[in-house]
Amino acid sequence: MASDVCPEQTVALRALPGQRERSIVLAARRGDADAFRELYSAYRDPIWTLVVSLVGDSSQAQDVMQNVFFKAFRGLGGFRFQSGLFTWIYRIARNECLNHLRRREVPYVPLEDVLGCGDEIDRARVSDLEEARRAALRDAVKHLPLKMREVVVLKYVEDLSYTEMSRILGCPPGTVASRLNRALAELETRLRPFKGLLL
Amino acid sequence: MRYPCFFLRKKFVSYLEGGVAPGEAKRLEKHLGACRECAELLARLRSGHEAGRQFGRLAPDAGHRPPEFEEIWAAICPTLDRPARPAMAGGRILQALSTPLAVRLLIVLVLTQAILLVVSLRKIPSPVVAGAVRTGDAPLLQGYAPVRIAEFSSNSEFRVVTEGFVEDVYFDEHEKSLHIKLVEVPQKHEPFVICEIRDLGSLTIPQPGDRVRVYGTARYDAQPGRGWHEVNPVLTLAVLKR
Repeated sequence: MASDVCPEQTVALRALPGQRERSIVLAARRGDADAFRELYSAYRDPIWTLVVSLVGDSSQAQDVMQNVFFKAFRGLGGFRFQSGLFTWIYRIARNECLNHLRRREVPYVPLEDVLGCGDEIDRARVSDLEEARRAALRDAVKHLPLKMREVVVLKYVEDLSYTEMSRILGCPPGTVASRLNRALAELETRLRPFKGLLL
Repeated sequence: MRYPCFFLRKKFVSYLEGGVAPGEAKRLEKHLGACRECAELLARLRSGHEAGRQFGRLAPDAGHRPPEFEEIWAAICPTLDRPARPAMAGGRILQALSTPLAVRLLIVLVLTQAILLVVSLRKIPSPVVAGAVRTGDAPLLQGYAPVRIAEFSSNSEFRVVTEGFVEDVYFDEHEKSLHIKLVEVPQKHEPFVICEIRDLGSLTIPQPGDRVRVYGTARYDAQPGRGWHEVNPVLTLAVLKR
């Protein structure tokens, strides 16, 4: 018999109590609008954070969000409770973001081209240091390779453990750790000219 | 990259967060004192980690908000005139396989195979094996090609048996598996092969210096920053000399 909650599912990845989640999914499969609404309310914010962080642009994130929940709701009939619903939607969101970014083919823009270099940050474009700091961070993460970016987002934005990340990314925790190392080393390289700004 | 570096580096971020056990932290610090490359990497990761934390605390781009439920519902509703999509064909097959009867049949099949395997292992005499892998006192499993550690680079066999001296035994907490570094000649670090045991079961954990025979699947691990031959997973292992 399928359990109400995947035994491996942890608190961080569970937005609804297991029994409630199950009954809502069953109701949503029958086309119950209130059930869809409840699922959306439960998962909207964390999925939005993930999508905005991965896509890097909130206007495009809206389209991705629509697609994520459209696919999730339409695919509920195929959800077999073998993983947590949240993990399942997370995976849909992640794949949708990656597809979107591949289609868009974000060109590589050196950070220095965006902000100016080191001490020569363009004060006319960036009104104050705090905004410059945010811009530097966002751009550094935004231009990481996809696999590095997502691991940074899952770790620092979603605050997931290695085990949780490995479940979403479908690779062993050790691989997640190695990927995170490479991502952080890359971040350090890209942010080195702005070190004084960030500390 | 040296063997211990590879595994210790996976713990760097946890170490920066204070998330490793005191004993492990000491081991790591000892290594950092002796390995300049790792110390430099840790310094870079410290900066990257701090940047990551700052990024995590940034408020989301306030330009747009997530769509309202009604917007999404408007797109979904027209497609809901029929019930939500049933499981795909593959899903239906999986559902059929997960019925109690199918599960029982599967369990019976697996148990039968396991019993047959155990019986066949007991019957196998110790064959004389051509090549450099010695038979020792432990029986050799059928279907496993003997490969010397030095021959892994030219090996094309999938299921292999190899012998060597244990140089290092290391439990990788992230992978949740035991790693054994086998060398052909004691005190000589290369050639080597990494043997990864995912399920210890009743296997005897060898000690550095032991001569062991290992059965398993030959692989080449070609992740960035490393490149070595593995026996992964290890099916079974026999300590030939302690």
